[in-house]
Amino acid sequence: MLSYIIRRTLMAIPLLFGISILSFGIIHMAPGDPTALMMDPNIKPEDMEAYKEKYGLNDPPHIQYLKWVGNMLQGDFGQSLIRQGTDVSYLIMERLPNTLFLMGVSTLLAVLISIPFGILSARKPYTLTDYSVTFTSFLGLATPNFWLGLVLIMFLSVQFGWFPTGGIATLNEPFSVWDRIHHLILPAFVLATADMAALTRYTRTSMLEVLKQDYIRTARAKGFREQKVVYKHGLRNGLIPVITIFGLMLPSFFAGTVIVEKIFNWPGIGLLFVDAAFQRDYPIIMAVTVITAVLTVIGNLLADILYAVFDPRIEY
Amino acid sequence: MSLFLAACNASPSSEPSNDDEGESGTDTEQATDEPKQGGDLIVGSIGAPTLFNDLYSTDISSSDISGWIYDGLVVFDENLEPQPDLAKEWKTSDDGLVWTIKLHEGVKFHDGEPLTADDVVFTYEIPLHEDYTGPRASSFEKIEKVEAVDDTTVKMTLSEPYAPFMDSLTYGILPEHILGDVPVKELGEHEFNTKNPIGSGPFKFEEWKEGQYVKVTAFEDYFEGRPNLDSITYKIVPDANALMAQIANGDVHQASVQSPDLETAKKLEEEGKIVLSTDLALSYTYIGWNQKNELFQDEKVRQALTHAIDRETMISAVLNGDGEVAHAPSSPLSWAYNEDVPKFGYDVEKAKKMLEEAGWTPGDDGILQKDGKKFQFEIKTNQGNKAREQIAQVVQEQLKQVGIEVKPKIMEWSAFIEDVTAPNWNYDAVILGWALSADPDPTAIWHSKEREAGLNFVHFSDPELDKLMDENTKELDQEKRKEMIAKIQEGIVEQQPYTFLYYPNDHYALDPSIKGFTHHPRSEYYNIENWWMDK
Repeated sequence: MLSYIIRRTLMAIPLLFGISILSFGIIHMAPGDPTALMMDPNIKPEDMEAYKEKYGLNDPPHIQYLKWVGNMLQGDFGQSLIRQGTDVSYLIMERLPNTLFLMGVSTLLAVLISIPFGILSARKPYTLTDYSVTFTSFLGLATPNFWLGLVLIMFLSVQFGWFPTGGIATLNEPFSVWDRIHHLILPAFVLATADMAALTRYTRTSMLEVLKQDYIRTARAKGFREQKVVYKHGLRNGLIPVITIFGLMLPSFFAGTVIVEKIFNWPGIGLLFVDAAFQRDYPIIMAVTVITAVLTVIGNLLADILYAVFDPRIEY
Repeated sequence: MSLFLAACNASPSSEPSNDDEGESGTDTEQATDEPKQGGDLIVGSIGAPTLFNDLYSTDISSSDISGWIYDGLVVFDENLEPQPDLAKEWKTSDDGLVWTIKLHEGVKFHDGEPLTADDVVFTYEIPLHEDYTGPRASSFEKIEKVEAVDDTTVKMTLSEPYAPFMDSLTYGILPEHILGDVPVKELGEHEFNTKNPIGSGPFKFEEWKEGQYVKVTAFEDYFEGRPNLDSITYKIVPDANALMAQIANGDVHQASVQSPDLETAKKLEEEGKIVLSTDLALSYTYIGWNQKNELFQDEKVRQALTHAIDRETMISAVLNGDGEVAHAPSSPLSWAYNEDVPKFGYDVEKAKKMLEEAGWTPGDDGILQKDGKKFQFEIKTNQGNKAREQIAQVVQEQLKQVGIEVKPKIMEWSAFIEDVTAPNWNYDAVILGWALSADPDPTAIWHSKEREAGLNFVHFSDPELDKLMDENTKELDQEKRKEMIAKIQEGIVEQQPYTFLYYPNDHYALDPSIKGFTHHPRSEYYNIENWWMDK
């Protein structure tokens, strides 16, 4: 198992390099640069040129890439081009915990809601309950995050005033756990919906498959209680494919935060990334891309490890 | 620092749409109310700041917050007249070369150290230093020497008389006792600018929570007396919809309102949740014709294009009447605005005739042709500005009436700017806006030397006007200078390198408890030390 993890980790290195070269290439192919924001008659062309020179924007792309990789390997993500004097790693470290927090809670929410519903649906297939769960799941899948977010803000925040309109905490008020939770509920729920729907579907299908198996029939024949049959014998096997899917879904959770953070004004790295993309703040874009890639690789690795833990037939 | 920013980008305030004519220049101050101390004001903004040092920042958010933390020598009031700030008074020598500036006495920095002439000298020597890496070197290039005569007197010597010099006196004064030992080369990236800025302004920097807010608190020892508000929180709201929701919810007390949200804002005003303040912005929106493209090289054609575009209808249909038809490369708010420039009204028949005179005749398909070439082109504008996007379609419709085929192209800001500006000039026509400086010097946009790398990307060129532009900044008599600028404006308008579309309005939503607000054409938080909250 350990050797498998090491092997997988080593394999990730060329993969990450590949991703970084591709991203760097694509970002630099996009027209425009950070000076587009400096269109001001008080800033002369020669001053803009000096700025480009200072930040190496006039270097050929491969030189810029090599410089960036060299620094990154030493743990230096460079400085923001727009916020001169601010380290990218500082910006990310300020924001990453917020994103991980939001992602963590919404993931938990998705799991806690979708798996019981998936099981419920599988236990009573082709009944009203099943159809209701299925319908709700498809509705969740089909509803765009940004639309749901805006509707919730409009009704629950602006109309009824039950939730804050955005942000992570109330300004000018001392820290309180309830305040944090209050701010978290809507964005976490919106972020969870799409994945919740998918997870419910996967759980249902997988459980349906498992509940048809001979050993389940045997267990029932032995006179075990239905609860025990489903949760002890069925669930353990039924969840195996769901775990894999779940690992693969982690990056999509991350992508989801970009939209949810924007709508709910949640100060995470999704928001940082969007702003950096519009401002062509290359060091931030690259750093977030690399972190996302690393998270994706870790997500996949975790999925494989959990798979082995849950399924004794799997050996590495 | 007031001399800001140029091309109204995807950003907020440029394209409003309101039809209330009577509420311009709302001042929420009520004569009967006495200012009260206290109150934590939360202002909302779509832009995030970058750093707090005028010599290095380029964005409006940074400059707005810097304005609370630092004081400059002078400040431009709501009529765009220079007023004393740290400077008590100033004198210019007869030849216009030597400026003697007298500072207020007893001014302190936020750490308690006194602000003296040495700090002014220190600040102004930074952009003059050869190691300076910020984007403002050119703004100070006319300064030859800065000297401290005594503790409260500064003498600045210029290399030539320079009328817009007053603009350079708005930059925040930095503390020499903190930054004096930092090599100029490292100043731009020094943590002072982001972690611990110290100025002498009405508010002290307290906290910058990344991606969330910047908070400043009242400076008790401010030389003009403690500001009324206890604190200001600059809340960063990166989405216009979210900002509107926050205004409606009272989570934000003050914010600029964009045109698509104006109707919502008016409803909120009717419900008594906010007060709207509306007035002309110091800017104009235009269509620029690329004179590198042979379609637009003939002056008559450009004039005909303007005649073919119905700006009145455009304002009523796209902006809901919220704006004024523009005729000149200036703003009615500027002292240099020339009312008497030639007017090119909407006249389709005249436009057709002029195009015919220029050799353009309708082909079989109804599209104008000349030497086998059809009159068709692309008009580019930036994404995210709904008014401009709609204007592109209106222009397409209107020019169709005279037999011209136009294709609108909406582009993301950064890509758009790269296309339009030097050295690409990859466009036919462009819809853009200019936010103007308090000083009306037209050089940066219209001088032919600004074609190759500067902002004269329509390639306008007129040697006579160039000469006048060169001279205008050397003329210190404002009346005489006004005459020169009037001639420049006439000359430009006559040749129609742009079709000047309209002067837009700015709108601010204010919590009804905010008092003492003064609408300023350039500064959203003008005189914020005098604001107070009636709660």
